[in-house]
Amino acid sequence: MIKAQNVTKSYGKTQALKDVSIEIADGEFAVILGASGSGKSTLLNVLSGLERADGGVVTADGENLSEKNEAERTDFRRRTVGFIFQQYYLLPHLNVQNNVKMGAALADNKDYLEIIASLGLEDKLKAMPNELSGGQQQRVCIARALAKRPKYLFLDEPTGALDEATGREVLDYIMRERAKSGCTMIMVTHNPAIAETAEKVIKMNSGKIVEVSKNAHPKTAYEIGW
Amino acid sequence: MIALKDGLKFSGVTVVCFCAVFVCTFFMNFYADVLPLKESVSAEALPLYTAQLATAKMVCGITGGFLSVIAAIMVVFYIRIYVDSHRRALGTFKAMGYSNAKIAASFLVFGASVLTGCALGFGLGWAIMPFIYKELAVEGMAEITPTFHAALPVYLIVAPTAVFTAVGYLYALVTLRKPPLELMRGTKKLKVRARRCRKDRPLLVEMCLSTLSAKKMLAFFVAFSCFCFSAMVQMGASMQSLAEGTMGAMILAIGLVLAAVSMIMAMTSLVRSNAANIAVMRAMGFSAKERFAAVFLCYIPVAVIGFALGTVYQYILLKIMINLVFSDVAEIPEYSFDVPAFFITLAAFAICYAAMFAFFLYKADKATIKETFTE
Ligand SMILES: Nc1ncnc2c1ncn2[C@@H]1O[C@H](COP(=O)(O)OP(=O)(O)O)[C@@H](O)[C@H]1O
Ligand SMILES: [Mg+2]
Repeated sequence: MIKAQNVTKSYGKTQALKDVSIEIADGEFAVILGASGSGKSTLLNVLSGLERADGGVVTADGENLSEKNEAERTDFRRRTVGFIFQQYYLLPHLNVQNNVKMGAALADNKDYLEIIASLGLEDKLKAMPNELSGGQQQRVCIARALAKRPKYLFLDEPTGALDEATGREVLDYIMRERAKSGCTMIMVTHNPAIAETAEKVIKMNSGKIVEVSKNAHPKTAYEIGW
Repeated sequence: MIALKDGLKFSGVTVVCFCAVFVCTFFMNFYADVLPLKESVSAEALPLYTAQLATAKMVCGITGGFLSVIAAIMVVFYIRIYVDSHRRALGTFKAMGYSNAKIAASFLVFGASVLTGCALGFGLGWAIMPFIYKELAVEGMAEITPTFHAALPVYLIVAPTAVFTAVGYLYALVTLRKPPLELMRGTKKLKVRARRCRKDRPLLVEMCLSTLSAKKMLAFFVAFSCFCFSAMVQMGASMQSLAEGTMGAMILAIGLVLAAVSMIMAMTSLVRSNAANIAVMRAMGFSAKERFAAVFLCYIPVAVIGFALGTVYQYILLKIMINLVFSDVAEIPEYSFDVPAFFITLAAFAICYAAMFAFFLYKADKATIKETFTE
């Protein structure tokens, strides 16, 4: 379980998070929904231990992230967290296989080739990132994150740079892989339609959580509008 | 695109130019002043005069020439690496419709830092000229006063400024001949293909090798800076015995400054161009040690090769120069390989290299993924 209590975070004069409290249960799929600049990414980064909150407490499985220093948070991420970013952030000089292997190495995962295959990338093993389309790059990124066998998967606008058809496809891959691994998933999006796929929707506006709602029947990637 | 305040980033270029021009100014001036004195030198002072002239020639040749060559190579390297690391920006501006000439013009700022360095070096060289002349004076010889030679500022300020400004501009132009999309995508395709179809290696090794092979220019730069460090410091130490007193100390000091600057330039480029790797690794949870190793280890052999070459080079250069220059002088100064200097340099080198790397990496390590990728 990840829990944030009265978390605040500022960048200079900008208050990105103002007294935010939220709980995400194990195995849950939560979406953080809000307009651009509302503080979604900041909240995601604080929850995942990528950044430290200025005030308040963030705990994950009883570990207090707010008390950890940079090295300890790095170790926490190593053990439990996978990331998928809008801009992919693949290492440009490593081929697909080695990019995924980067994730696998952290969890001592020998079966990462299966993950690559299940994302439909088996014929791209030796391709370099700049030879792939956006959707393919994002699938590599998903494989890299899953190869770590993370307990928590954090996604920041994973389909934000993709067209509708490719976006649906990627989203579908993500949801299928999550169903397989059973990891807790926290995804940031500005698209209300995408939020319909989640079990829990956390709505944000100018640094505050304005509404938390549950979807009784989450939709699949192909059932939602876009 | 490059604001003038970015000129600060090129302070390394300025310092390198400064050192080279500083040394060249007074040696070349001294040489030019002493040369015409030959007729007026008395018979008994002639051997001394010849010896003095030979020393000036050698110190001038080795120190000045060596420094100038090093400085020139350094600046060219730096220009290339700097322009290459801005490929994405170049592509974006080109895509927006700016003309190549206009985009490349923003790299003219290199000229400003070269000019600053050369002008400062020349000015300071002149300022301490009387002192140098006293150091170099020979008993029984008429006192020499510095005379201004109009050709010197042309050689030492105008020419380097013009050349490096042109090099920066032209290299940017050449880079801009690529289509904008290719520039924006960053990595060069050809280099990427070369590393396929190899057998599986451990990940860290693979990361090291791929970074090395993708950034060959940078590897050369690192090797070269180590070469400079090794050659410069050992040369400075040997000069202490050849050119005695304050002169030797000064040459050593300049060698040290240049060595440090070249190292800093190489390290900043190295860490900057690996910043994205470091940020991704950190987000994924690789420990500081692993991040350090992934970037650092692969450059150790490069550094060692550079250092070894520098040692060999300075030894051979000194040997040749001494025999060449002193061939018409009765006694050739003794020169053999300076073992203590070698080990002291090696130790200093290892410490500087690791410390500097750790320092810059520590600084770079603070940047977030987003910052490094949007740079
Ligand atoms: N590194 C940063 N430095 C300064 N301001 C930042 C930084 N990151 C985010 N912000 C600011 O914090 C606010 C929230 O940003 P962010 O969490 O990225 O929003 P969202 O992801 O919802 O678009 C914005 O006003 C943004 O300008
Ligand atoms: Mg965001």
